[in-house]
Amino acid sequence: MSKPRVAFFEFTSCEGCQLTVIDSLQTHIELLDVIEIVQFREAMSEKGEDYQIAFIEGSCSRPGDEPKLREIREQADLVIALGACAHLGGINTIRNWQDQEDVRRYVYGDKADWYETYPARPISAVIPVDAVIPGCPIDRHEFVTIVKQLLQGRMPRIPDYPLCIECKLKENVCVYLRGKVCLGPITRAGCDAICPTYGDGCEGCRGLISNPNIESLKTVLEEHGLSMEEVRAKMTMFLSYQMMELEREAAGNGD
Amino acid sequence: MGFKIMPKAALPAWIDRLCADYRVVGPKPLHGQYIFGDIHSAEELALDYTTTVLPPKKYLLPPREELLRFEGSNAEPVIEEDAPPTVVLGVHTCDLHAIHLLDRVFEQGYADQHYRAHRENVVLVSIECLKPCSEHSFCKDMGTLSADEGFDLHLTDLGDDYAVDIGSEKGEALLEGLDAVRDATPEDYERVNHVMAEKWPRFPYRLEFDVTELPSLLAVSYHSEHWDELGERCLSCGMCTKVCPTCYCFNVVDEVDFTLSAGKRIRHWDSCQIDEFAVVAGGHNFRPTRAARQRHRFFRKGKYQWEAYGLLGCVGCGRCAQACLVHITPVDTFNELYRRRVLYTARRQEVHT
Repeated sequence: MSKPRVAFFEFTSCEGCQLTVIDSLQTHIELLDVIEIVQFREAMSEKGEDYQIAFIEGSCSRPGDEPKLREIREQADLVIALGACAHLGGINTIRNWQDQEDVRRYVYGDKADWYETYPARPISAVIPVDAVIPGCPIDRHEFVTIVKQLLQGRMPRIPDYPLCIECKLKENVCVYLRGKVCLGPITRAGCDAICPTYGDGCEGCRGLISNPNIESLKTVLEEHGLSMEEVRAKMTMFLSYQMMELEREAAGNGD
Repeated sequence: MGFKIMPKAALPAWIDRLCADYRVVGPKPLHGQYIFGDIHSAEELALDYTTTVLPPKKYLLPPREELLRFEGSNAEPVIEEDAPPTVVLGVHTCDLHAIHLLDRVFEQGYADQHYRAHRENVVLVSIECLKPCSEHSFCKDMGTLSADEGFDLHLTDLGDDYAVDIGSEKGEALLEGLDAVRDATPEDYERVNHVMAEKWPRFPYRLEFDVTELPSLLAVSYHSEHWDELGERCLSCGMCTKVCPTCYCFNVVDEVDFTLSAGKRIRHWDSCQIDEFAVVAGGHNFRPTRAARQRHRFFRKGKYQWEAYGLLGCVGCGRCAQACLVHITPVDTFNELYRRRVLYTARRQEVHT
């Protein structure tokens, strides 16, 4: 069996997820026995275009991103969203709540007119995506597991239960008992509850679980001293796109 | 069988002896709470602990456990036979009752060989609770505030000594060659009686009805609106089921190595409170609402296990209540259902008179 040819691409992102991939290539060197990497700007100079599996990091935040995304989709048999930006739009979507003109001026100053940007979106908003590897950055163990599942010809399965499950199994002190707040109850597990393990609340980088009870968690956050504005800020650091989608759906149902 | 007396001063030497022959685990402090963990000396052990985050169940049904290894179509079960026997020190009687239920669940009918292997490898040293461990525990209501059996050794704190009840040969073996241990005298029996008589009033009754009524109360409460109210609040975070000493639902998954044909089969704890738990082939979810899942959980604890195993599924440890961020507790839930039932019955009587 010939090894599947794999390529990595990035859009609006910090490339930290690709760094994690490079890191996992060091800890799991066997990966290179089973796949052939033909394009990976962050790790090699070669640029093969005959890839079968495409890993895409980053959100789509410019009209100019769209043709490139479509080109990747056309070439690849499988497209995998790599990390929170590709999966959810990531922290780039914080700007989606703001006036886009203001954002451009704030970021690019007097060069604002040089850049054409629009509200950031996950890549699934532009092209069909076969699987996602969540997180900011991704979890290297999950990356390796998902690659194995893809090679087996199986659809990758990622957890669809909240972080609290993993956190409790580690017998961590609940972040709420430390006088802080946490999005664990509505956030997809899979990171081994890394932030609460080190004493910080979950920021939701892995996205929402299915059917999250957001209203009830808002009440919990307010009970723990957050203002309405702080609750909104908390819920829109990584989750802006998902929250706006849910609001749109709710508004749609109201018609 | 009569009991023995062990001076507390002999505890360090006893733990050292145990550590030589056994893996010893017990309650110890961690960041202001307690967990069951490995014990290497008496200094680490906190026998006067309140309650632990996870119950000692984790030594009988590990959160994540290898069931078998496979290579192609060959599969070999993995049974931990060579592991050193584990002494679990300081088990509260609520957890002892919970283990009794797990024994029935896993041993009845088609016995679970993995559970049995762990169970046979474990020696349980329980301890009498002399004061309530938390505002959430309600062991007195659930009849778990003491235990006559189910332990290998049982300790009762008499101040300078422990009274040691021997429950099995496995337990007796733990005391072998310990010179400081002596037979109890009539005065010691007096001391134990005194401690037991003093302890009982310290524990409050928190249920507003007799617990033997719980299965029938639930039977008439299936359609209660209270489940919808709980469903509105419940976060489906699943913490209640993770910390529960009697929850035993699990999932089984295969993990492969890079050959893609060899790997291991893993069993890990599952939770009826999470959205995907009841999703079956074809994508149908037969318990899609949080209300239905909460109802299921409380029916498991107060009715279903009673019917299947003759034991209530809740031992009143209070861990779920302590963990819940939206204040859903068994005491409040059962009492609320009871109040509504009383009110409903009163109204019906009014109509008929």
